[in-house]
Amino acid sequence: MFPAIESLAMTFPTLLADKNADFWFPIQGSSFAEEVDWVYDLILYISLAFFVPMMVFMVWCLFKYIKARGTKAESQLSHHTTLELTWSIGPSVLLVWMFVQGSISFLDMRSPPEGSYDIGLQAFKWGWTMDYGNGTFHPELHIVKDEPTKLSMRSTDVIHSVFIPAFRVKKDVVPGRYNYMWFKPTIASEQISAEQLAKLKKQNEGTTWDYDKVHTIETEDGEKEVQVTPEGYTFFDLYCAEYCGTNHSEMQTVVVVHETQADLDAWIKANSSRGEVSMEEWGELLYGRRGCSGCHSVDGSKLVGPTFKDVYGSQHGLTTGENQIVDENYVRESILAPKAKVVAGYQPVMPSYKGQLSDDDIASIIAYLKSISANAPSQPAAAQAEPEAESAE
Amino acid sequence: MSNATLPAGARDPGYPTERENYLTNSSGILSWMFTLDHKRIGMMYLIGVVSAFAIGGLLALAIRLHLLKPDGLLFTGAEGNNIYNQVFTLHGAIMVFLFIIPSIPAALGNFLVPVMLGAKDVGFPRLNLSSFYLWVFGALFFVSALFSSGLDTGWTFYTPYSTTTDTSVILATLGAFILGFSSIFTGLNFIVTINTMRPPGMTWFKMPLFLWATYATSIIQVLATPVLGITLLLLIAERTMHIGIFDPEFNGDPVTYQHFFWFYSHPAVYIMILPAFGIISELISVHSHKHIFGYRFIAYSSIAIALLGFLVWGHHMFTAGMSSLTTIVFSALTFTVSVPSAIKVFNWLATMYRGSISLTTPMCYAISFIFLFTIGGLTGLFLGTLATDLHLHDTYFVVAHFHYVMVGGTLIAFLGGVFHWWPKMVGKLYNETHGRIASLLVFLGFNGTFLPQFVLGSRGMPRRYATYDPEFAFLHQLSTFGALLLGIGLLYAFIVLMVSLAKGRRAPANPWGGVTLEWQCTSPPPYYNFERPPVVGDPYDFHNLEWDAENERYVMTEPERKLVPESTPDEVPAHAGGQE
Repeated sequence: MFPAIESLAMTFPTLLADKNADFWFPIQGSSFAEEVDWVYDLILYISLAFFVPMMVFMVWCLFKYIKARGTKAESQLSHHTTLELTWSIGPSVLLVWMFVQGSISFLDMRSPPEGSYDIGLQAFKWGWTMDYGNGTFHPELHIVKDEPTKLSMRSTDVIHSVFIPAFRVKKDVVPGRYNYMWFKPTIASEQISAEQLAKLKKQNEGTTWDYDKVHTIETEDGEKEVQVTPEGYTFFDLYCAEYCGTNHSEMQTVVVVHETQADLDAWIKANSSRGEVSMEEWGELLYGRRGCSGCHSVDGSKLVGPTFKDVYGSQHGLTTGENQIVDENYVRESILAPKAKVVAGYQPVMPSYKGQLSDDDIASIIAYLKSISANAPSQPAAAQAEPEAESAE
Repeated sequence: MSNATLPAGARDPGYPTERENYLTNSSGILSWMFTLDHKRIGMMYLIGVVSAFAIGGLLALAIRLHLLKPDGLLFTGAEGNNIYNQVFTLHGAIMVFLFIIPSIPAALGNFLVPVMLGAKDVGFPRLNLSSFYLWVFGALFFVSALFSSGLDTGWTFYTPYSTTTDTSVILATLGAFILGFSSIFTGLNFIVTINTMRPPGMTWFKMPLFLWATYATSIIQVLATPVLGITLLLLIAERTMHIGIFDPEFNGDPVTYQHFFWFYSHPAVYIMILPAFGIISELISVHSHKHIFGYRFIAYSSIAIALLGFLVWGHHMFTAGMSSLTTIVFSALTFTVSVPSAIKVFNWLATMYRGSISLTTPMCYAISFIFLFTIGGLTGLFLGTLATDLHLHDTYFVVAHFHYVMVGGTLIAFLGGVFHWWPKMVGKLYNETHGRIASLLVFLGFNGTFLPQFVLGSRGMPRRYATYDPEFAFLHQLSTFGALLLGIGLLYAFIVLMVSLAKGRRAPANPWGGVTLEWQCTSPPPYYNFERPPVVGDPYDFHNLEWDAENERYVMTEPERKLVPESTPDEVPAHAGGQE
């Protein structure tokens, strides 16, 4: 890059708030990044090699040939065929080079190697679910360094687009078909120590975890600024790049790159089931993780879907005109077949979670809904043995 | 008028008297509403598109102000994102359908095409008036969409979002459908006019380049717009009857919609920029007082762009999942369009070389155009190249690129054209100093707005985001301050023109020294454009032009004439501007 531009960039520290980026690009996080940046730089230099002389020539003409009104021009030359053919054909050669170079790199990006690590990706309004197999789903994309990774992508509603700037990749996720993309990450995420994470968690107690927040942590070499996941990993951003409605700009998630396959397997195992956590806590986690929070508030405000606040045990009017008590069976049906009984005043837009949530997951979500509802027959902390009583009603 | 300082043999139509120009030869609102005069229709279009531009521009300022803060400044609260989405959709839709597409062809083209051609009017004056009212009608649909339940699909109406959102998609698409007819009628009229109404001597290669550009534009309008009409009707059918063409829920394919849509909308980009090329060719030549360099190359390149423009639509879908082969073919075709565009820029620069340049307000805009359009064109290379496009697609890089072409190109050329032909249209001269200051503000403001967006895009900021990550805040703020400056510059330019109406000096027939035919009639032109048949010659031959310093105007001296061939009829036919 140009030294002048770089020094200019240094004088604007805020410009470089993203510590890992240079002036033009995010950090080079995949094997494609270097090649794409190289092609970009070459086009940039070729463009400047045309642009600068042309503009210098134009300004020079302005100074040189500005004449008093009424002065005749020095020349009335109307054409010069050789010159015109030269500047028509000459640049074409460079264009052919750009096209060829861009296409070669593109073909690489379109051909996933045999045996790539395959992760399912499902896009919906407005969130992501990655499918790690064996019933493990998570909104964050976790992959392994230097391991070619292939995403098999589908959308349940409208067109979305997966964009990971650090990897220089982008692909639309089109409903009604599978789209694929692949990449090989080259930089592993760091993980801050358990004590530091505990400290950060304490500082942010009572709020939802903000991925964008820059935390200052103390290390052996002094202070360091990091953005981390709730598990303490640094990450790359993953954006939705195809406009998809209300919360398009909030449809973001993160990519965490593990050093080894064993690390990733450990992480998958830790996230595959509820483990020791209580059902309410697990339900709350799933509420955030599986995209419920994009459409259903817990503070009573109306989003795309009905709020979850006090929803359990309340009466809903349906679009069919009937009334429905929100009980276990209704919640379960709404998760697995959301279009069967739609609440009046809302669109039938929710995707089905059939095959994506285990029975334990659904039960946990129900437990969570009960815990935040004043209409629930009993407070969860007070009595654990109530469910039988309810189903008997 | 005094002829004391005129060289021997000078011809100058002088000034029109009170009743003999098109603005005053009849009066009353009805004489405008039912006029068949292409000049009046052009002026009504001008008022219409400028009003649309004002609405679209205010929406743009709202967008930029909102983006001052990462979490959004203007549209906050639960509905904030929805409002932002509607604002950028309407900004795009209004600017594209109501301003950029009709601005030069319908407003300036209607006024200028017959005059530059040496004709009395367009081929079908009634069709011309009806196309204006269709435009008004279509515009009303758009505005009514704004007041009913808004529109939040983006101006591209991508399915299946547009078939499922509960905003006023049908109203807006009907509006666009009607506007399409307006566009087709205008194009059809110009093709017929240019084909059949050229006066004796006006051969194809004696036509000013603005007419070549208009002709090429009209071809696209007539051939491509029907596809948009069909697409929009299918979209409405999909929304109401679920016919299953675009919506995957009914076994449709959303990418089919994109193919249909861009098959119109990419050529439409050339509807927007080709007339601008025409204007710049006129401006550079007239204000350099030099023959345009490479007339034939510029003329042919207009036609080449119009034809190649039909073959490149797929480059909007490089990330959509087309087959690799299709993608590569579209990339190759895309590069072919850049050659004729580059040829034009080289020719303009060569025209300035060894000219006699007057740095008038129109010339300031022409220079801005070359600067901005070259950036717009060169940044297109990054997007045509597949590897870099995957990273830059749907980011602010694209936003910056098309604003450099559409605003830096079309809007600047439109402004240059308006300032160039303003004395001809209204018969008044504006204040040159203020005009130049305004053009400088527009230039600086524009670059301030969109240069930072190239960096935003390559750093990975997606477009159409109501909120964004804090690391992008500084560049967004730069962009917003640029937009405010741009807004001030545009308002300034508008005021300069309005003040000229009240206080401007009377304009001579030929204030700049142009040779094309419109400078041979009075300013403003009479009802039938020419009092006597114009003398058709090379539109860029400046040999016989003399400066009359006392009256501050250019006059034509008698050109060297060859003997009149015997076959020339004694009476000039009516279509050539003769009186019946």
